[in-house]
Amino acid sequence: MMEALTPFVAPFIVMNAVLGIVTYVTLLERKFAARMQSRIGPYRVGPHGLLQPIADAIKLMMKEDVVPTKADRPIYNLAPIVFVLPCMFIFATIPFAPGLGVADLNIGVLFFLAVSAMEIVGLFMAGWGSNNKYALLSAMRAVNQVISYDLPFIFAALTPVLLAGSLKLSDIAAAQAGGAWFIFYPVIGQLAFIAFIVSTVAAENRAPFDILEAESELVAGFRVEYSGMKFALIQLGEYAHIIGSSFLGALLFLGAWAGPGPEWLGPIWFLTKALFMFLVVTWVRWSFVRIRVDQILALSWKVLLPFTLLLLVATAIVVVWRGPGV
Amino acid sequence: MSDVQTAADVRVLHDKSRRTGTEVSVIVRAILGAMRITFKNLFRKPVTVHYPEKPRTYPDRYRGLLALVYEEDTGEEACIGCRLCEFVCPPAVIKVEMLKSEKRNYAKAFTLELYACEFCELCVQVCPTDAIVMMKSFDMPTADRREMLLDKDRLHAIGQQYPRSWATGNKLRDMQGPPKMARTEHAAAPQAPQAPQAPEGAAQ
Amino acid sequence: MTTVSTTRQELDYAGSERLTMNMGPQHPSAHGVFRAILQLEGETVVGVDAVIGYLHRCHEKLAETLTYAQYPSIASKTDYVAAMTSEFAYVMAAETIGKIEVPRRAQYLRVITSELQRVASHLLWLGTWCLDMGGALGGGATIFLYTIRERETILDLFESLVGARLLYGFYQVGGVRYDIPDGWAATCRDTMAVIDQRIGEYERMLEENPFFLVRTQGVGVISRDLAEDVGISGPLLRGSGVAFDLRRAAPYSSYEDFEFNVPVETAGDCFARYRVRMVEFRESLRIVRQALDKLPEGPISSRPGLKSVAQTRIPKGETYARVEGARGEVGCYLVADGSAKPYRMKWRGASYSNLAVLPHVIPGHKVADVVAIMGSVDPVFGEVDR
Repeated sequence: MMEALTPFVAPFIVMNAVLGIVTYVTLLERKFAARMQSRIGPYRVGPHGLLQPIADAIKLMMKEDVVPTKADRPIYNLAPIVFVLPCMFIFATIPFAPGLGVADLNIGVLFFLAVSAMEIVGLFMAGWGSNNKYALLSAMRAVNQVISYDLPFIFAALTPVLLAGSLKLSDIAAAQAGGAWFIFYPVIGQLAFIAFIVSTVAAENRAPFDILEAESELVAGFRVEYSGMKFALIQLGEYAHIIGSSFLGALLFLGAWAGPGPEWLGPIWFLTKALFMFLVVTWVRWSFVRIRVDQILALSWKVLLPFTLLLLVATAIVVVWRGPGV
Repeated sequence: MSDVQTAADVRVLHDKSRRTGTEVSVIVRAILGAMRITFKNLFRKPVTVHYPEKPRTYPDRYRGLLALVYEEDTGEEACIGCRLCEFVCPPAVIKVEMLKSEKRNYAKAFTLELYACEFCELCVQVCPTDAIVMMKSFDMPTADRREMLLDKDRLHAIGQQYPRSWATGNKLRDMQGPPKMARTEHAAAPQAPQAPQAPEGAAQ
Repeated sequence: MTTVSTTRQELDYAGSERLTMNMGPQHPSAHGVFRAILQLEGETVVGVDAVIGYLHRCHEKLAETLTYAQYPSIASKTDYVAAMTSEFAYVMAAETIGKIEVPRRAQYLRVITSELQRVASHLLWLGTWCLDMGGALGGGATIFLYTIRERETILDLFESLVGARLLYGFYQVGGVRYDIPDGWAATCRDTMAVIDQRIGEYERMLEENPFFLVRTQGVGVISRDLAEDVGISGPLLRGSGVAFDLRRAAPYSSYEDFEFNVPVETAGDCFARYRVRMVEFRESLRIVRQALDKLPEGPISSRPGLKSVAQTRIPKGETYARVEGARGEVGCYLVADGSAKPYRMKWRGASYSNLAVLPHVIPGHKVADVVAIMGSVDPVFGEVDR
């Protein structure tokens, strides 16, 4: 019986760790954003607001679950689950330390990118099932935006794959050992990193590309009819996706667990780098107004996609030219 | 003359309007500049005041809660029940009943509906005996609106409890110049007001 | 519900599926209570029906029941963001009919407070406009909090002058009610220096920002002909190339003593209106500095202090008094009949006339542009509905 349970132990631990990180990352974002706006964030709940995420979680669990009368029940009820599952799956292939991960697949990067693109299904289900014009409008925008930004995201993520020569995430991390992080790779590394950040921000519907949940126009977009635990699941999924992409970015570009100090400090460094990427995304979020959906799509198709495509081709040329073993 | 702008007109006007350069360096510099400003703000002190642990500083003329006061020399109620405040109040929240007496009149009943009060200070301005004044505080949170229907005792209690604002009826009327000076421009400064409230000199 | 009027059938959209969406009176960016019934084709708006009246509080009837001494405090509540402007129009109308002179010191004080109100109102405009465009959780909120932080310093100035932060009762027929206390001028200058510097920061954050530019340039273009036809005023008019400012065209309250520029832009889009208001910031601060330097001595009111409610009687007559408010021309048409209360008072709300331009400008734009355009029109619904 114990042997039957062993495969479940690692995912269980990882999921709980992810949930914990995601909850406290919301607090981090609120405090960081507050300081940028000359105010303090949550302060009263627990010392300096440290218990605020727990209070929020309890509140959401206790809220009444309001379902609109004319909502399409099966789709409406399933949408949060369909949304949150891919956002949790992406943590399956990320190695948190050499040998410490749930499943270090040979096609790690491919799995990550493919599964993270599945959340759009849940998003659209939520928008459609709510029987609400605002939600529908938001879902239509979402389909446009997420699909068109997944492509540059994939190409930007493939650049380190080419440089490392493998889709396996631990191989990519090992290829950056010794301080040769891919972000330091001349020209290609920095450009790929910038493209990665921009497409991450857009593919996750963060400002300035958060047109689909534009609070001032669509009042929470596709989430507008959800309350209580379903809303909590959607929030969880969104932040998990952001953190997952931050982990991926830290692994692809910032050397994953490489850092000074003993070996067991590796996961701590990894977490720090992921949080650094998250803070950069947050910093961008709180600095800019959003742009319109047709401008977002123009940016993606006319600028970012050709740019990342050319970058990928250039990387391929460089890799071949420098010969094998690089 | 365009009564309604058709979509074609919108597109024409759209194209004629200015565009900035789309050079990459301009865009990058602008984005980084904006992010630098928010970053700089990260290190500025937050402007939050930790109310109610830290009290808020009120200026001298603050229009806070209303109160009735006693005369300083005799200790008697200053209100003579003349009902001028009742007549001047724009939302008509004051109700006064006069009680006649030999030497002077009093207010038999004085109610003020604080929940409808505008805090415009007109009642303070018309009071001939400086009886009704405003306090330098607005701290009266309550869960029941009926507690904000102030009767005479509560008004007197508020008058003892908080510091008073600067304004009284006589001071406000004196600030607007004695009647003799009306209709003459560039007149000398009025003599009546107390020293700290003298009109501002030109060079400051 | 009314249907879209027939003029809009000229739009060249082969409308396959039209969606009627209600940007209802409760909306985070309706700038108050405003209902816009949008007809959408996909993301493009093809028709707008504006429904107002949710904030009607019978000001004009109230003015018939309140005397000239009582009403200025209530007049603040029409344009509650720049409250002094409304009081100014009412009081000026009464003074014009009654041929009451206002002492020079009172005129200068009125100018100082009007211009400080303009700065405070534009700060709120900038904050809420960026909030609409950037979202309550996003860059817009950052700029909103910065401008509100600056606006608080101006409101502190008003608090030490009048005692109230938002709705004053500063004006009265014949002058003003309060004189400036000691040290107020110095604090005012310090505050203005800080605001000047911070406005520079906002300009740097926004002006070359490609996200902001792409949202505002070419959006909501009001052509010069349309502007002159529909009867808008204020920064909307000046952003469309018409150089009309009441402080220049019909100077009141010694505005002719001050040197200031009136910004005019010709593009007519949201960015032009933004530039007009940003320059108006600096010009208003310039006027306040000049007024503080040249502030004359003297009484602050030509009428004695209020002793009874019916003290001010205005003889028979009627007039229309106009003031250049932060949003445009605020006017008060007053008919006096010799008693202490007006016979009839009518407000011309600047935002009410400015809103009339929306059905002409919005069709053809996307939904996201609706909030950008409404923000740049800067309505305050106390003025619209009165």
